Amino acid sequence: MLRRPRLFNSYERRHKLIGLAFAIPVIVFLLAFVLYPVLYNVWLSFTNASLIKKTSSFVGIDNYIKIFSNKLFLKYFWNTIRWTFFSVLGQLVLGLSIALLIARPMKGGTALRSFLLIPYVVPAVTLALVSKWIMNSDYGIVSYWLQQAGLVEARQSLLAMQGPAMWVVVILNVWRSYPFPMLIYWAALKSIDKQIYEAATVDGAGKWKTFLHITLPQLRNTTIVLAVLRIIWTATYYDLIFMVTGGGPSGSTTHLPILIYQASFGSYQIGYAAAISMILGVLMFACIIFYVTRSGLTED
Amino acid sequence: MEKSMKTTKIKTGIVVTILIVFLVVIVGFPLAWMALSSLKPGVELFTIPPKIMPQNWSLEWYIQAFSNPNVIRYFLNSLLIASVVMVVDMLIGTLTAYSLTRFHYKGRKLILISVLAAYCVPPIMLMLPLYKIVNAFGMPESHIGVIIAHLTVTLPFSVWLLVSFFKKLPKEINEAAVMDGASEMQVFLKVELPLCVSGVLSTGIMAFIMSWNEFLLSSVLISKESMKTLTVGLANYISSTHIDWGIIMALGTITTIPVVILFALVQKYFVEGMTAGAVKG
Repeated sequence: MLRRPRLFNSYERRHKLIGLAFAIPVIVFLLAFVLYPVLYNVWLSFTNASLIKKTSSFVGIDNYIKIFSNKLFLKYFWNTIRWTFFSVLGQLVLGLSIALLIARPMKGGTALRSFLLIPYVVPAVTLALVSKWIMNSDYGIVSYWLQQAGLVEARQSLLAMQGPAMWVVVILNVWRSYPFPMLIYWAALKSIDKQIYEAATVDGAGKWKTFLHITLPQLRNTTIVLAVLRIIWTATYYDLIFMVTGGGPSGSTTHLPILIYQASFGSYQIGYAAAISMILGVLMFACIIFYVTRSGLTED
Repeated sequence: MEKSMKTTKIKTGIVVTILIVFLVVIVGFPLAWMALSSLKPGVELFTIPPKIMPQNWSLEWYIQAFSNPNVIRYFLNSLLIASVVMVVDMLIGTLTAYSLTRFHYKGRKLILISVLAAYCVPPIMLMLPLYKIVNAFGMPESHIGVIIAHLTVTLPFSVWLLVSFFKKLPKEINEAAVMDGASEMQVFLKVELPLCVSGVLSTGIMAFIMSWNEFLLSSVLISKESMKTLTVGLANYISSTHIDWGIIMALGTITTIPVVILFALVQKYFVEGMTAGAVKG
């Protein structure tokens, strides 16, 4: 191999340094406001820090023992799993179904896709206030329909009922989060080689068979990566439940993010709250690693 | 044979149309209902059975909402915060995306991975530490704290979207300019940036929308009425014991409209960027 001329070498080095320099702001920001907070949270979880007293001390794993000896924790953990599982399942199924529907060429297809993407940017607070209005026990239109249909007692709202409240927030969450999977599936469907379909048609495979044996397997990786990303978002998503039910009635929609918030700003025990978020964090960390390595985004 | 194929085609057409109408209703109903409710006078808001269309259109709730000086403050606060977040995101974001797509240095991959990992770090985990940090720096109740918090959410997203725009540019342009003796900064400002303007702007607007919509971190960092953002102010309205539904519907409508309009403007680029490199299967 030829030795590179010295001049070129130093040019290349300078070039690399400048490239790195362009990334310095983001590096500094992420170190200071993402990595440091995460590490700080780890430390907090081993202390008895509180928002109402100035001093705090190291207490080892006391907070964790306290969490696991709390009988209600299991219930809230289970709520988190139900909320996450059904929200993610719902948005993936709905997202894929709509993608299949709009992937076919049709008049006004682009306009329709644009319209169906709107929930992606609707503020959670908007969805929350509308749902509280339409589910209002006295004047809400959906409550009215349900009452008329005899599904709900007079002057009763699904949001005030322990069983259904979780289903309502899950449905609301699916409403606001299906556009992302829809978009990704739509792109994935377009990228499937048309020739495979043609070959299948020639072989006489029906629509259902083609979907089952060609489309679905082609979407396998997309689905896995999407599911993991959405699990991370959903399991840690606080806003909607907080604004719609506040975790109630009687804790039936309380999940870990609500619990973290309550421990922090309800009872001011931030050491304890940090420990709960560590438990959630460790579970999510596994998902993040999986997502980062499997998404293929860091490849050139 | 041909005839039966034609009828199945028509049948599928009908089924597809029904499904689409159903979807459009499901997606549109909550938003339409909010807007319609906000235009109904007080009496009509509470009729049983509820009527879909207002009988007497009225702007009274909007007038009432804006006669509260705090509401105007909420608007200005949200506008200010989201604008700053947008500009900072575009500045740092483009520099980073340029660096990550045009230079090959050690640690480049590590930065790429860190940005992606940061994108996955949820706000609920950052809530407490950011609260403590902002207070420790003597910035409680400040918009700077909220801006920093919003950047933790939007910056990784922006970088990620921008990288997908920069990746699409042919590298040859860059190399040709370097051969002509242009410096890296010149190449960035005069060659690459102009080619990416639409991508950069739409990323900025997406960051604006995310910041405008953000609730959790803003609510934790700000408790002073006059400093609150729109989402936080609105959320307080719905959790109060006496609820003025008309005012809330009016506020909800004006909170949502700007976001939907902005999104309509940049959607084309957003879809392009997201589907180019969002989730590769």
